[in-house]
Amino acid sequence: MISDELARLIREGYNALGELEFTESPTGYRLYHWADRNSLSLAQVYRSAEDARQIAKYDAAGAYRALKGTPNLPRGWILELGNIKDLKRALDYFYPGAIATWLAYREGKARPVCLRETLNRQTGMYRVTRKLTGSQAQSLVKEFCRSDGRCLRTILWGIEPERPPDFHPSSKSDPAVDQTGQNRAALPFLCMEACNLLVAAARTGLKKSTR
Amino acid sequence: MVEKGKSSLVLIGHGSTLNPDSSAPTFQHADEIRRRKLFAEVYCGFWKEEPSLREVLRMVESDDIYVVPNFISEGYFTETIIPRELELTGPVTLRSGKTIKYCEPVGNDPRMVDLLLHRARESAPDVPPDKASLLIVGHGTSLNQKSAEAAQHQVTGIRERRLYAEVSEAYMEEAPFIADWRKNTSQSHVVIVPFFIADGLHSYQDIPVLLGIESAPTAAASQKEVFRRNPFFLDGRELYYASAIGTDPLMADVILDTIERFDRKHPDDTAA
Repeated sequence: MISDELARLIREGYNALGELEFTESPTGYRLYHWADRNSLSLAQVYRSAEDARQIAKYDAAGAYRALKGTPNLPRGWILELGNIKDLKRALDYFYPGAIATWLAYREGKARPVCLRETLNRQTGMYRVTRKLTGSQAQSLVKEFCRSDGRCLRTILWGIEPERPPDFHPSSKSDPAVDQTGQNRAALPFLCMEACNLLVAAARTGLKKSTR
Repeated sequence: MVEKGKSSLVLIGHGSTLNPDSSAPTFQHADEIRRRKLFAEVYCGFWKEEPSLREVLRMVESDDIYVVPNFISEGYFTETIIPRELELTGPVTLRSGKTIKYCEPVGNDPRMVDLLLHRARESAPDVPPDKASLLIVGHGTSLNQKSAEAAQHQVTGIRERRLYAEVSEAYMEEAPFIADWRKNTSQSHVVIVPFFIADGLHSYQDIPVLLGIESAPTAAASQKEVFRRNPFFLDGRELYYASAIGTDPLMADVILDTIERFDRKHPDDTAA
């Protein structure tokens, strides 16, 4: 089970994922924003995994967080969860599918899908993204997916088939690097395929350039 | 509903990168079904939110998976996008030792007529139906005729009950257009029920502008103090605008009925 494996990883010393940190506690597991690690006594306590969904929905200014990997989670909360299944569910609300994806990748059951394959599959309003050139894709990803402000996922896909990811900085494609810059024992937070937000951004860019 | 402790449920929603309420009903119904402990696992996946359609099946550990589109009609999403992104080959897909059962969209459920009528009554409790126009508003799209057909099907069902003086349909992207409600309804009371899944971008923000009850899109429903204050007085008429039909708590039962209907239709594939 994924939750059993998560429990094992925590015992092994992993204590972080994206902006989150977690630890075993006397009553189960504790989950919080890394920047609150020295001020947890001031944080508002929540006890249901489903509370994570609401916390993850808006940033500190109240703006909707459409991209869950964006490093703008609000601070000042702590989730006290009774068991590993609740912790896993909460992590899945903050970073949907992150743990399952990493485990599947580690076991060779999930492969990265190159951007070209993702774009060539699009239909309807996104069909136009098939026209995105390699260099347009390079600059789009560099801006749209950057870890300092846009998305903390580690990109494992390249732009063209059979090509490895080739983005700047190269650490953006290294699963061993903690993208927050905290250098913690973080679970890899992988991006196996361009998300719909990136595809939509490619469309917007192409529409602008043809105007 | 028979317990399916060895199976998992994946609810698929559209989601939105702009409106925080679009995915809310999908999560709400998933929470309710999870609370009933009928399935080993319950997950939600989205076209425009996370987990994406590409990721969600990786999260599921059971070998027997029901995929239910929390969509109001068959059409572009249920016929093209969802099967493509989930790599489905038909109603039943066998892959890597897993059986993936692709159900009909929730809007196909025969009890939608009752839900729409209930919603209409709830929104305008003091309005006698025999003196009111009931307007069912849907998306409609030139890309696929099935979106409008689904709403028409409901309108026909509601008309057969002979409760409202008049029952009409209107769409965002095809005729009869929502903006033409004045000439397409005749009664002084007009009750409008959105045949949509969520009080999201279209139902909560776009359609009120098309109707003329807002001059510009308001903030999202969850970011306003009052959901909406009916009635709205416009050109000598009284308008009652309801919450989207997909937010009804009974939709959790509709999802379970959708699964039972799948099992009846595909008896050889439902051994798990």
